[in-house]
Amino acid sequence: MTRRGTAAGEAHRLLPRPLLVIITLFLCALVLVPVLYILLASLNTDIGVAEGQFWPSTFSGSSYTRIWTTADLAGGIGNSLVVCGLVAVASALLGTVTAYVLVRYSFLGRLTILRGLVGLQSIPGTLMLLPVFVLFASAGNYLGITVIGTRWGLFVAYLTFALPFSTWVMVTYLRGLPRELEEAARTEGASTLVILFRIIVPLSLPAIVVSGIFAFLLGWNDVLFASVLTRPETHTAAVALQVFGATQEGGALPVYSQMMAAALICAAPVVVLYLIFQRYLVGGLTAGGVK
Amino acid sequence: MIDDRTATREAPGGSAATQAAGRGPAARRRRGVTQQQRPLWLLAPGGILMTLVILLPLLLAGYLALIDLDQYTLRRWLRAPFIGLGNFTEAFQTGLLHSIWISLSFAVISTALTVPLGLAAALVTQNAYRGRGWVRAIFLIPYVLPSFVVATVWRTMLQPDGIINALLAKVGVAGGLWLSGPKSYWTLIVVEIWAAWPFIYLMALAGLQSVDGEVHEASAIDGANWWPKLRHVILPYLRGPVLLACLLATLSHINNFTLPFVLFGAPAPDDVNVLPMVVYVTSFQGLRFGLSAAMAIVSLLLIAVPLFAYLRALRLDVHDDGGRR
Repeated sequence: MTRRGTAAGEAHRLLPRPLLVIITLFLCALVLVPVLYILLASLNTDIGVAEGQFWPSTFSGSSYTRIWTTADLAGGIGNSLVVCGLVAVASALLGTVTAYVLVRYSFLGRLTILRGLVGLQSIPGTLMLLPVFVLFASAGNYLGITVIGTRWGLFVAYLTFALPFSTWVMVTYLRGLPRELEEAARTEGASTLVILFRIIVPLSLPAIVVSGIFAFLLGWNDVLFASVLTRPETHTAAVALQVFGATQEGGALPVYSQMMAAALICAAPVVVLYLIFQRYLVGGLTAGGVK
Repeated sequence: MIDDRTATREAPGGSAATQAAGRGPAARRRRGVTQQQRPLWLLAPGGILMTLVILLPLLLAGYLALIDLDQYTLRRWLRAPFIGLGNFTEAFQTGLLHSIWISLSFAVISTALTVPLGLAAALVTQNAYRGRGWVRAIFLIPYVLPSFVVATVWRTMLQPDGIINALLAKVGVAGGLWLSGPKSYWTLIVVEIWAAWPFIYLMALAGLQSVDGEVHEASAIDGANWWPKLRHVILPYLRGPVLLACLLATLSHINNFTLPFVLFGAPAPDDVNVLPMVVYVTSFQGLRFGLSAAMAIVSLLLIAVPLFAYLRALRLDVHDDGGRR
């Protein structure tokens, strides 16, 4: 039994063992050395990092406590959590509803919409930013509605940009869902909305979670729109970190250790989400093709 | 809205018919009805949002590129003077070709160098061994970290007095400036590669997993050595997935704004003045909005050809046979 197992293992092995070990070690080092440095530097003192220490002479967690007064990171993280959390829920919900109609019903223009959902994901954000800015500014100038600088303006922008991908994730999932349950419910007289929320949503929760998480990440990772559509009070975590990084270098004493701590704090929600939902997310990473 | 109301009004009649006529034929009739009573209104919320915040701005971008829009005309942009292709000629006279060249070469070099890394990573994690789960998780770290975090930490490490130069000094090499001057171009490529190679790895891994076990066994019986087997049996399976990965990766390299913006700041040094940076700086620092829109249109045209090739190759209408992921 065991011998057969190893024989099959040998047959499937693609590379000779020494080569396999060398490549694995090289790639792990490529990833882990910078990551290890970030961790060590965040546990160092600002002076220690500035002196070029790789291994801290004294370990301290003071960077993690001092960063909150050095930069307005807390406000940024709060704004990001609120906006991106709402975007995640709304985008997953709208994406599911839209995908359901696209998968289950045929109508004129359906293929164009499907193609558009994929194509829109590759439109450069820098192309969208200016016209969105002009439209949002016009809402203020012509209609008297302030959009720029508000959290909900950012919410509308992120929600819309997350929708094509959220919908596409749901389209690929719902295609594989058997129709029998819905049809049974329909013969019992259930309306479309009842079918959607009592049958489709519970059955596709894994995909809904994935589309919600990717919508969250789209907002969390964005710098482009947040840098133009927010005021200092509505800064997101990404903008807070970027502004902090760009301004502190002009100062007399660089605060590199606090920078590293801030960067790790900004990465933490993403890493936690990834660790919890790793199994589901890997498929989604390749489905979109864009980070 | 109207569709839905008629559908719900019809529902009780439908269930009455079910009770009277029995299950089989009634079900078939219901299906016919639902095909006509399509709840297309459900598309409205998403459709309206995407029309207002994506399609309308896309059209607007086309118009903005044709008018002379700056900070003075912005408030009443509908009355800004129409100047035709003036913005486009100005863009090309003020060095847009340089940025196109920087963007394209940066994207192609980054893609070309991530392919061997991604392929190697997929090959070494294909066979199960103890600890493989950890290795796979480690490989995904650079891809999972947000771009702005990756750029921030590399920016710190590459400072003139940062850790990279400190380590280089220990082995007697003068590092110099990484974030400005001619070396910044290679800095951008190296950091982009560090952050992006796991995408190729994921796509190659998906391709590898579609190779039948029988293929391995057949070539093992033939006594094939590892290199000919890899070269002639395994790699042909990966051609499709890896080519697709290259296409998508190149598009996202060209569109990448966050990395150069956070790494170098705006305005970027001339050697890393990629298209997204030029478009951003021209509008939100130079306040030449019309000129910036023209540049953005040019960058859209640049990615249009590979994008259309991809969209045409995409299989859209797998209705019932598309497997569950």
